[in-house]
Amino acid sequence: METMGNITKILALMKYSIRKILFKKRIVIAFLILLTVIGIMGYAGAQNTNRLNTGSNLLGMLIVMFFMPAICMIYGCSVIRDEIEDKSIVHVFTSPFDRIFAYFSYYLSLVICLCLILAVITSLGFISFFGQQGIDGEAMNIYYTFIGLVFLGVFVYSALFLLTSVVFKRPIYFGLFFVFIWEGFIGNIPGNIQKISISYYLRSIGSKQLEYITVNGATDVNTSLMAIFASIIILILIGSLIFKTKEFT
Amino acid sequence: MNNLLIKTVDLSKWYGEVIGLNSFELEISSGITGLIGPNGSGKSTFLNLAIGTIKPKTGHILVMNQNPWMNPKLKSNIGFCPDYDNLSDEATGREFLELVGGLHGLNGMRLKNRLNEVSEVVGMKDALYRKIGGYSKGMRQRIKLAGSIIHEPKLLLLDEPLSGADPQVRKSLIEVIKSLHNDLGHDIVVSSHVLYEVERLTSKIALIYKGRAIASGEISEIRNLIDEHPHNIIIEGNKISDLAKKLLDMKYTISVGYQEGRKRIKVQVSKPDEFFATITDLITSLDCEIERMYSIDDDLEAVFNYLVEG
Repeated sequence: METMGNITKILALMKYSIRKILFKKRIVIAFLILLTVIGIMGYAGAQNTNRLNTGSNLLGMLIVMFFMPAICMIYGCSVIRDEIEDKSIVHVFTSPFDRIFAYFSYYLSLVICLCLILAVITSLGFISFFGQQGIDGEAMNIYYTFIGLVFLGVFVYSALFLLTSVVFKRPIYFGLFFVFIWEGFIGNIPGNIQKISISYYLRSIGSKQLEYITVNGATDVNTSLMAIFASIIILILIGSLIFKTKEFT
Repeated sequence: MNNLLIKTVDLSKWYGEVIGLNSFELEISSGITGLIGPNGSGKSTFLNLAIGTIKPKTGHILVMNQNPWMNPKLKSNIGFCPDYDNLSDEATGREFLELVGGLHGLNGMRLKNRLNEVSEVVGMKDALYRKIGGYSKGMRQRIKLAGSIIHEPKLLLLDEPLSGADPQVRKSLIEVIKSLHNDLGHDIVVSSHVLYEVERLTSKIALIYKGRAIASGEISEIRNLIDEHPHNIIIEGNKISDLAKKLLDMKYTISVGYQEGRKRIKVQVSKPDEFFATITDLITSLDCEIERMYSIDDDLEAVFNYLVEG
């Protein structure tokens, strides 16, 4: 009975949250990113180039390394923070809904929306390049690998930025630092230092699947997956415990 | 015998250096209870502690004999209507109620039936499919009220439900709140900074001032306290010097002082009832020309100051 009640509550919050994420004005940013990706990949697709190498490098640079963490930051930092700011979260805090479940509902809503948005961006970027260069089995292999990396990235970045949205009043500052300095710079420094970034493990997995992706000192797939899943679990656990004990006036 | 719904013992809550509640002691039993106090007196802090969105610094609060902090199960028995507007303009009234109902575990036909019932109770049935952004202030208050009763709670906590509404809306909201108790049996705690508004809802009130519950009981008892506190009255007019001298001889007069020359006096009296009963005869007997006479401290702030200072 209690399980059914919790499922009802999770679904109610997810339905409301997903609608809020997808139909807020912020979706314009995702649309602009989509146009940028289509523009760049479409232009590159029109050139005479090594299609598999260039195509996978473009998807890696544009989406996995830059737009995916950036979009996760934009949405992840705002989902709960916006509700705290506009005080609509009071409905969650004053209902008989365990806050750990509520936090998990927000996380699931965020992941679903970001997977949807980034799947559209990745797919249309892929089509705009390989549509001109030719789509064959090898190209589809690149597509599936990048879709997998994007989804994996969404799971871990969402967990991180959702946590920051309950810890910081202005989580976007941390987000900007993390995406541009930490992931963009430290994650690319050769040696062991890059191992404390998320992008290193994503790129390592990619490099083991596709010969076109190269990473200095890439780790094996199992270790990378373990590092990523352990990060997801730890981040969600910390976030939900902070959310559970958060005071709200 | 009335059931005890809320009990606080030495309850304190502060935010940084700002005190919300300070050694707050209050017991609230079933029925409608009005929490009266000026803005910033601690009413919202008390309600937030009762619904469990904040935790006490010291002391404790029991709602229906349970600690509300980190107690989600208790919240099935409490409905909360905050004083701020936290509604999403993009959602329809129905979507809002579906969310709140869903968060209380309602779904399917039960949710649908409750949506119809509560929208009927607050008079919003025809506006349910409209976007909240197009609602008037009164409609927004009504839909918030509907959200607070959708799960049929025993206790309703309404934080300044009448604030910002125009007189007509206030009147209709008062009727709705009364019917929530009289017809549907909800016990209600309603906060306000306007005494006469609460008087129209209930005779049972608690006065809160500077984070403390300074008096509670029947409104008539509180009224007596209010009526007994020293009143400052301004009298303006011509030939009022004789009146000032005469007033000084009266037992109820504490002091008389001239203001702005000799055309205005400020009289402080200990028994305003006796003052008002005799002043007309005094004026007539002395042939004064009175232009204006008014009390300058009928407001709650003055009453609270008096009660606190003893």
